[in-house]
Amino acid sequence: MISARGFRKNRNNLNVLRALRNVRLIPLFFLTSFAFRKSETVPSLILHFRVYVHGEPMQLNKKYRNPFGEIYEISRFRLYIGNIRPAYTDKETKLKKSSSYQLVDFSDSTTTYMELPATTGTCNGVEFELGVDSADQNHGAQSGQLDPSKGMFWTWNSGYQSFRIEGYSPFSNQPAHIIAYHIGGYRYPFSTVWKIKMNTTNDEVFKITNDYKIIVEVPVELDYFFDGPTPLHIKDISSCTTPGEMSRKISENFIGSFTGLVLTSAP
Amino acid sequence: MKFFRTIILIGIFGFIWINTPFPFQIPKNFPPPVYSFQKNPLTKRGFELGRKLFYDGRLSKDGNFPCSSCHQQFAAFATYEHRLSHGFNNQFSFRNAPGLFNLAWERELNWDGGVNHIEVQPLAPLLDPHEMAEDLNQIIGKLKKDKLYPILFNQVFGSPEINSQRVLKALTQFTASLISANAKYDQVKNGTARYNQYEQKGYEIFQMKCARCHTEPLFTDFSYRNTGLSLDTTINDYGRMRITGKKEDSLKFRVPSLRNIFLTNPYGHDGRFSTISEVLEHYNNGIIPGPTLDSSLRNGIPISDNDRFYLISFLGTLTDSGFIKNPLYSDPETGIQNYAPVDRH
Repeated sequence: MISARGFRKNRNNLNVLRALRNVRLIPLFFLTSFAFRKSETVPSLILHFRVYVHGEPMQLNKKYRNPFGEIYEISRFRLYIGNIRPAYTDKETKLKKSSSYQLVDFSDSTTTYMELPATTGTCNGVEFELGVDSADQNHGAQSGQLDPSKGMFWTWNSGYQSFRIEGYSPFSNQPAHIIAYHIGGYRYPFSTVWKIKMNTTNDEVFKITNDYKIIVEVPVELDYFFDGPTPLHIKDISSCTTPGEMSRKISENFIGSFTGLVLTSAP
Repeated sequence: MKFFRTIILIGIFGFIWINTPFPFQIPKNFPPPVYSFQKNPLTKRGFELGRKLFYDGRLSKDGNFPCSSCHQQFAAFATYEHRLSHGFNNQFSFRNAPGLFNLAWERELNWDGGVNHIEVQPLAPLLDPHEMAEDLNQIIGKLKKDKLYPILFNQVFGSPEINSQRVLKALTQFTASLISANAKYDQVKNGTARYNQYEQKGYEIFQMKCARCHTEPLFTDFSYRNTGLSLDTTINDYGRMRITGKKEDSLKFRVPSLRNIFLTNPYGHDGRFSTISEVLEHYNNGIIPGPTLDSSLRNGIPISDNDRFYLISFLGTLTDSGFIKNPLYSDPETGIQNYAPVDRH
């Protein structure tokens, strides 16, 4: 029933853990209902965003250590994902920019899945945008996923945050030891909106067909977020809540945490 | 029977009137507006809903601060004689509330241009803890509980749903309709009035010394400039740099429109000047040099006492008394208030 395989860049020694994780029942239950709801004849791709720490799925409000030994816990973690498209190996993709976005909120697992209709074909990766494209940032009052009441919109410097990580750390010198990375900004040169293309490793391919749905898991590995081009020591940088150079740098760290795709297929 | 027919006819006309698009008239001497209601079709009912929201204290956390508490019609929708405006919990805003008019021509809003679209402008004061201090979902909850609002939203948007988008679009129907374009200046341009000799002289001086930044007919070129104001270290407002993060934008603020300038005192982004005369003296002899000072101000703008008199005479022709007395823009409950009341705070 399940042909589950894992692919990952050979960046560390966590491959064994990853392989063990590949058979996952809970998401599949959810997706079965998903599959029945949609017409079976529409080929589609399902993306599942998941946060990992040290190769294990992250739990909210649980204490972890970052690569610098600093203890922290995440209480809320949200990010905007948009313009998802499969990367086909057998044809050119000339999909129009969709301007559709999803606010992934890791405290609500239903928001971590997104199903997108796609044409059948062979793929070796996916492309998506982190954050809200600059072309969609100044269209006035929005509803749905971009409703400013979702708390991701800066009112004094108009724009949607790309991602928002909130929590606590005894190493933070903020009131109540808060850590707050509210990262956004869409204007040159401090844009935090990134086009991300993630490939399967070893040129592994997956097929989008009419018969079954493929789930592509997009892991977000928080260790790389802290230990990125700008080492994020909580004692030094515990908060960034405005667009600008720091936001941009932290977003550079964040895209490094998208480490590689894990594939599963749903019946 | 005749009586009933009349009633029905009045009803039908009334219905048509209330659903007809509300005219958004672009003044003859104005350029095309930036905001033209394309995705937010202006209707009488939409405008009236926005107007009701604008004057409704429930949009603020404690109910005391409707939009109109800082944007008063008799002050051309600025705050009358307040450097900084009052907000929630005895706090002050950190900038002077600008007059609200001709907003449909503004590509960016606020003193630092931080707001990129007129529809999202209300979010700044609504959510600012120093101003209306409310939460969007709370506001929507309050409006949903009201007896009238769901009916009004249904009439305007075709369903009783109330969400932030609809609140903001309705508010914009009101704010973007606030057009001030019938001051004496405009009447002179249209040939229906004439300047007196002082105003005429003042207009000539204005064109020579001020019009480069305060460009006609909107009396601003919408640029951001450092006009040589010292930094107030109790506020530490660096203006445009707060938005762009660029050093070269330090201490730059939006060139404000001079329309209705007699009504919008105090002046400057932090309201530091009480009178127009003080502002003119600043340009004459008060410019603080700095790396981002506007190049046109390096030597100040010499303004003699006589020039000052003439200039102020001309600036008086920018007062649009029809605008501040327009009953369409007034509080739908209390009606027109064309005089300044005793300070309510």
